[in-house]
Amino acid sequence: MSNIAGKAYAMNVVTPIRWYMVWINRLIFKIALSRPSTLKGLITLSLIHYARWVIIPKDGFPHLHPSQPKENLHYSYMLFFSNFNGSWDQYVDSFTFAIPSGLDLFWKWNIRYPKSVPLTPFHDYIKYNQIDTAHYYSAYPMAASNDVKSAKIVKKALIDFKSASIEKNPDEFLIDYNNLLNELQLEFGEMRPTPIVSLSADAVKQRYLQSQSHHYI
Amino acid sequence: MATKSGNATALTVLSPIKNGTMGEISYADITRERCLRLPIHENSPLAKVPNTYLARLFILDDVFYESLPGSDSVFNFSDIFSFFSDQARRDALPKIDHLKSKYLVFSSNFHGDLNEYLAGMWENWTYNDQGIQHDVRYIWEHCVAFDEVTDCNSFISYIKRCQLDASLFFNGSTDDSLQEQLKALYLKQEFTKFVTTHQGKSAIEIQQAFKRFIERVQPENLSGPSWVPGQSNP
Repeated sequence: MSNIAGKAYAMNVVTPIRWYMVWINRLIFKIALSRPSTLKGLITLSLIHYARWVIIPKDGFPHLHPSQPKENLHYSYMLFFSNFNGSWDQYVDSFTFAIPSGLDLFWKWNIRYPKSVPLTPFHDYIKYNQIDTAHYYSAYPMAASNDVKSAKIVKKALIDFKSASIEKNPDEFLIDYNNLLNELQLEFGEMRPTPIVSLSADAVKQRYLQSQSHHYI
Repeated sequence: MATKSGNATALTVLSPIKNGTMGEISYADITRERCLRLPIHENSPLAKVPNTYLARLFILDDVFYESLPGSDSVFNFSDIFSFFSDQARRDALPKIDHLKSKYLVFSSNFHGDLNEYLAGMWENWTYNDQGIQHDVRYIWEHCVAFDEVTDCNSFISYIKRCQLDASLFFNGSTDDSLQEQLKALYLKQEFTKFVTTHQGKSAIEIQQAFKRFIERVQPENLSGPSWVPGQSNP
């Protein structure tokens, strides 16, 4: 089990939803998509790399061959997959504190959804419906989502600065250089495995090494 | 389409695993074990699949139902109907679902076109486990109808048959190519180091050092010095 890849945490939550209420959820998602301002709350949660909601209708599980038994379900199911930085608690709590009403809107029609406030029942709900990841991969385990975004700003500023200022006389160069640093001061930061995450990441590594030491079943 | 956000794509795949066992071990457990044994970070086979930002594999054994006593109806009319009919009371109770197959779930966030990405998976997914080299077929081997997959095109159409559309895909990062993202991260890292080591130096010293720095890091060269996919140490 490895929900962690460096600084990223993989969350999988599968929740039942009444099949006759699916259309409302789809509508809410459609509105959220067509009016990006409705996702403003999510954007403030800058710890998220990527997240998705997938609704599987009760007869919508992939059926590939006559030999495969057909599912016979009472409910449809909503999958929520997220990639975020930090701990489980930080993430779940930040959702509750930042966008409680948005969260309630997305999960409102899911069975036994307790609402995002108060915290404890909400934690219980997510824990109960969460599935651990078997293999998780991040292309940049040392980087948080904010690092990826700020790196893009640094790259552009560096290229612009190089073209505009590298051949100026030293004193003018220094003025431009200091201005550049001033502009980028919120974007700088060396990336390394951080202490808390590295403890978890170390546990993942140890588990992996342990699995390698016994022979495959 | 909600599966895309700009150039970023959310791929969600549920592949049913065959019911049955090999010896005493179910196909689902064999598949789970294979996923668990995949090498991590830069050695993961996903590090070789071009443009993968973040991806995961797990087994969906069953669906869950957090039951509490009480009615499952949206409105509590059942409270009234139950008075007249015990069946109405029972119909209003929560239902419990169980899946008839277990599913291998593959979820990936990547840059670009789905067909190209899946072809990249077919061609580049490779890793070594105890001296044996495995390709992408090894993970999907025990999935229903996967024996029909014989080449890249049949792999692409198989995955598409297992694909589910996202209702909402939220991109909280960027949708640049992975090469672009990794180069930017490399530059951020290197430039941060440069700035801290050259604090307080004279204008001419900083300018000369900066020229050497630019020559070394080649900011516009995406294939030049950069981070490798999955790089876990500075």
